[in-house]
Amino acid sequence: MSSDELETVKIALVSCGSEYAGVQPEFEAAAKQVNAKFIYPEVDVDLIDNIGKEFGLEVASGDLKLMMARARAVVEGLSHVDGVFITTCFRCAEAAIVRNEVRRYIHRHSNIPVISYSFTERTSAGTLLTRLEALTTVARRRHLLAREAQTGLTAGIDSGSTTTKAVVMKDNKIIGSGWVPTTKVLESAEDAYSQALKEAKVTRKEVQALGTTGYGRFLVGKHFKAQLVQEEITVNSKGAVYLADTQKGPATVIDIGGMDNKAISVEDGIPGMFTMGGICAGASGRFFEMISKRLGVDITELGTLAVKGMQENVTMNSYCIVFGIQSLVNSLAKGASPEDVAAAACYSVIEQLFEQQLQEVDVKEPLILVGGSSLIEGVPKALGDLLKIDVIVPRESHLIGAVGAALLASGYVEE
Amino acid sequence: MPGKSHSGQKLAGEKKFMKAEKEITKIIVISSEKVLPVDAAMKIYESEFPVTVKETCFGLIVTGPETDVLQVTEEIRQLDKNHIFVKDRGFPAGDERRCRAVRGGGPRPGFHFLREEVKMLPAIGEALDELERKGPPEELKKQKSRLKVSELERIIETELAR
Amino acid sequence: MLKVFIYPVNSLILADLVERFGHKPLVVMNQVREKVTNISLDSPPVNITPEDPKIGLRFAAVEVPAGVRGRMSLIGPLIEEAEAAIIVENPPVNFGCVGCNRTNELMKYLVRSKEIPILEVKYPESNFEAREFVYNISVFLENLSKASGEKKLDPQSGNAEEFKGEAAEEKKGKVKLEKKNDSLREEIP
Repeated sequence: MSSDELETVKIALVSCGSEYAGVQPEFEAAAKQVNAKFIYPEVDVDLIDNIGKEFGLEVASGDLKLMMARARAVVEGLSHVDGVFITTCFRCAEAAIVRNEVRRYIHRHSNIPVISYSFTERTSAGTLLTRLEALTTVARRRHLLAREAQTGLTAGIDSGSTTTKAVVMKDNKIIGSGWVPTTKVLESAEDAYSQALKEAKVTRKEVQALGTTGYGRFLVGKHFKAQLVQEEITVNSKGAVYLADTQKGPATVIDIGGMDNKAISVEDGIPGMFTMGGICAGASGRFFEMISKRLGVDITELGTLAVKGMQENVTMNSYCIVFGIQSLVNSLAKGASPEDVAAAACYSVIEQLFEQQLQEVDVKEPLILVGGSSLIEGVPKALGDLLKIDVIVPRESHLIGAVGAALLASGYVEE
Repeated sequence: MPGKSHSGQKLAGEKKFMKAEKEITKIIVISSEKVLPVDAAMKIYESEFPVTVKETCFGLIVTGPETDVLQVTEEIRQLDKNHIFVKDRGFPAGDERRCRAVRGGGPRPGFHFLREEVKMLPAIGEALDELERKGPPEELKKQKSRLKVSELERIIETELAR
Repeated sequence: MLKVFIYPVNSLILADLVERFGHKPLVVMNQVREKVTNISLDSPPVNITPEDPKIGLRFAAVEVPAGVRGRMSLIGPLIEEAEAAIIVENPPVNFGCVGCNRTNELMKYLVRSKEIPILEVKYPESNFEAREFVYNISVFLENLSKASGEKKLDPQSGNAEEFKGEAAEEKKGKVKLEKKNDSLREEIP
């Protein structure tokens, strides 16, 4: 959806260091693309003097005190904003503590959506776009996100980096689905959508509304004249709680995609805090694809293999997709069983997810695992073992984005 | 080309201007019982210096060619020299990037610290008055050099005793 | 006239006193001015670009956060230029370029590592302390004038060796000044 159609969303920029790290223009560029405007909540200087004691967190840096004071101004409604973007320098421990506590504080004391991010001088607008898009969507379209049932005849296409998924839904039921590897974005979308329509026995013209999501959402959305073009944080949260039938109350959604993964803290189907990993492919579906090849099994068999193995029997020195796989191959050479290696692969991805993503999200039950990798049985098992809680993998969990898009698109069906 | 000479001239003019006169900005903070910011501003307007003046709650922000700004700020300081304070500012007066309305809400980063320092200015002003009243600088210097020698001896002794 | 580094680097009081007593305050505002009035760049508000944290690598290693290195790209060159310094302990809340305490710790360390005369004073909290504060600073700055005047040192000449010797002498002078101020305390009513 082009930004000029949307009303401006006011986002409080609660940050330390962004103006001095060379990333401020990138932030501004990303905000502009989603028609958001950063504002800097006004605070009284006397408040800043005492904020450490009042907030309970005494830090040395002035800008971090200012962050706490600004968060308080937002929570107390002194500064009216639609969302909050909390961001500090990557590798600063003092700032990381403040960033996390300020985010929790806002989350606990208000309904204002919050995202947090730690930047380096290399952080680009592109990296922030999906995050800011999700933030502005929650602010702008709460009514749309309140939808709990699919109505009419709608479709959703999830153009992912590795696979493209499509579903057709009618009266709250999936009546057709398509799933193809992503080669060329539009061709793959055409294929997946055609598969879904064929299975549903409906024509394109009959479909009342279409939603697109995933990496290729803009291109695919434009091509099919979609009513809804939406990033995957919002869509997948909605899709996950819908499929898991946990639309009310808290939930945590973990989505392990082909190239990246997401951890989203959801309340009443609306994403609150979330994190996205996108730097290392070692924590993604790609890792499973590669290890399946090395084990000589189809990726669909990897999970069954993994649940029979013991990850403890295999030593892995790295999460890296290159060195990690090297470790696994070496284990095989030393006589480890394929079952143990498959289990270790699943555990490696989950452990990395735990260390990099789940630290920034409050994990609340139910924990819903979605995305193609959730179908590899060893993955939910490893997650459950690590977190010591039950993991829900809803039916059609690999179609989560397409289902979420079809569900949300039904908000555009003429009554 | 009709535009060539014009733009060429302008460029040359600008170059000359840039070289001779770098634009600077000063914040003048007035903590005086005798001089009000408005008086100071009037004095600058009357002086016809080619500078931009912006009145603020603390005093004035003056932007213009370096020599003019330096001269203007010195003249203003002399209106009540121990109670008028001057510092540089990075952004020119009224720069949008530091404007509250454009930035959306909160003031520019230096504002809070400036406000804290302004609270201290009456005491600093008094201290400067006192320093002046305490006698001619010669006396201070004499006092200083006398102490300097004795203290130096003591320090040398302690250092050597190590 | 010596170039005097001040901490906090954006202090009105320190910049004013240094100038008042005949020296040149090295202030971050002038660094910011260079940035924001250079029209070839457009990276509002302070025009720090991703290149600046790389310049900051001269003062801090790559594992130091980008915000610290970006700030150091502004402040580091001032420290390199400094011929004397005044450091105020416990200044009131600081934001912006001095809003990061890690940067502040680093810049004070780098200043102290230099062989230059340094005055360290406490931020005044009362009228009495303000008098002490102003007096200490005035004595320090006047001594700097004398020291540089006597030897006819031109700070711009780059006569580093001679100046270093002078600076070392002044460093001892720093101790003298502090002591002297102790005795002065009794004189102040």
